Amino acid sequence: MLRIYQRLWHVNWAEQWQYRANLLMYLLFWLVSPIVYLAVWTTIAGAQGSINGLTANDFATYYLTLLIVDNLTSDITIHLLAYKIQDGTLSGELLKPIHPIITGTLTNNLAFKALTLLVLIPVWLVLCLLFQPDFSGVTLFNVLLAVPAVALGFGIAFFIGASITCVAFWTTRVYSLNELYYAVVVLFSGQFVPLDIMPPLIQNIAQYLPFQLLKYFPIQLILGKLPPEVIARNLALDVIWFVAAALLFRWIWRNGVKRFSAVGA
Amino acid sequence: MQTPKLLLTLLKINLQQELAYRTDAVINILINLVWLGWELLSLSIIFNATPTLGGWGPAAMVALLGVFRLMNMMMAALIWPATEKFNTGVRDGTLDYTLLQPVNSLFLITFSRIVLWRAWDLALATALIVIGVSQSGGTTWLHVAAFLLLVASGSLILYSLWVVLIAITFWLVKFDNNVTILQALLDTGRYPATVYPVWLRMLVTFVVPIAVATTVPLQALRGDLAPWQIGMFLVISAASAFVASRVWKAGIRRYSGASS
Repeated sequence: MLRIYQRLWHVNWAEQWQYRANLLMYLLFWLVSPIVYLAVWTTIAGAQGSINGLTANDFATYYLTLLIVDNLTSDITIHLLAYKIQDGTLSGELLKPIHPIITGTLTNNLAFKALTLLVLIPVWLVLCLLFQPDFSGVTLFNVLLAVPAVALGFGIAFFIGASITCVAFWTTRVYSLNELYYAVVVLFSGQFVPLDIMPPLIQNIAQYLPFQLLKYFPIQLILGKLPPEVIARNLALDVIWFVAAALLFRWIWRNGVKRFSAVGA
Repeated sequence: MQTPKLLLTLLKINLQQELAYRTDAVINILINLVWLGWELLSLSIIFNATPTLGGWGPAAMVALLGVFRLMNMMMAALIWPATEKFNTGVRDGTLDYTLLQPVNSLFLITFSRIVLWRAWDLALATALIVIGVSQSGGTTWLHVAAFLLLVASGSLILYSLWVVLIAITFWLVKFDNNVTILQALLDTGRYPATVYPVWLRMLVTFVVPIAVATTVPLQALRGDLAPWQIGMFLVISAASAFVASRVWKAGIRRYSGASS
């Protein structure tokens, strides 16, 4: 099994490497909105002293960590797979004796991540020089604790993303559904603003949902902002939502493939 | 004049195409409303924390959101679909048929594919601008006139930049990413460029002048701009339109079709 992943990794890495110029462009998309919000909130916090206890430096470190965490936990399955379901090319992959999504699509996802990270790191260092954040709250222990949090966060994002993609077995409007999902993620994950300055109602709902596990939790964990009981609770939530998302995917995939009838078949 | 008639025909064709996918249009409008909700929420979060953002109050920011949505609409309804059609045309040679038509080629490329449900955004953006302006108070008709003039000239500058970017494809054939930088930086138009750090402000004012089409008209509306500054922006927009049309013509002359 491991050999299969190794092989797929080589293939997918080579495939992504071919598009390295495009990668630079995708990175631009990724960078702009965190930088815009970083500028907006450091300006406000600079003028007001602090907002809900967050200083200008808290915002700078939050958004700069977000850039890395967002890259690690985000999922691009819909772009890799939805069209294959729609135009029927999935049939070829269904014939192979390996699961097309939890092998092929997963490694492609990871190869994309690795390559974008390679480009992101120098840009990130330049941004650190420009904004001069103070990362003194970060400890090695917190970073190590963040490893399972980030891994499980990506797992959750991957299985939810794959489940949404599989709705393509039933409807062609899967991209609209994905945009709606993205709107929910934006609201509850802490992507545009740290959850601490969201209205209390949203914060209360968000703490039980899986979306804050993708961004807000790993970021604050790395920055050393969370008390131990919150870390423990969120790690437990990580495991629960990971299992739930995996089961959801299994169910939707089985039913979807049964319904699948390829174009031309 | 032939042009208005042609434009009307193109609109009709696009309307017919769109009507075949009515449900999609409704879904898209609903999603668009969700984003509006999010945008207003983030403004309320911001103004909960501070009375002004870079000297701009809530009313001015609502008006800026309107101008941003107007710009975004122009891009999503005309420019992105036109880019897609153009890039495909260069790659597979179908651009030849466009160039052979006895009308201005740039006009045909810009208006042949229009995403009509976006017209909804036009109404929404206008409403946001009117509400924002009437709430901020202290604006004279002269300011409103300068604002409208600068929105038009700002759009013209962005349009000219787009023309230059796609025309570069005539020289570098493998240049599918020609408009990505424009797309990526568009979001900077949501906030006044005055709050950005200097390097980002320079980038969105001089290199990819999103701010010239969003922040600058709003500044005129607030009476922040001197007459000579307004005049300068108008001259720049006329100059950029001139340069763009020259680059476009030079590009067309270079183009030799995908098959030859």
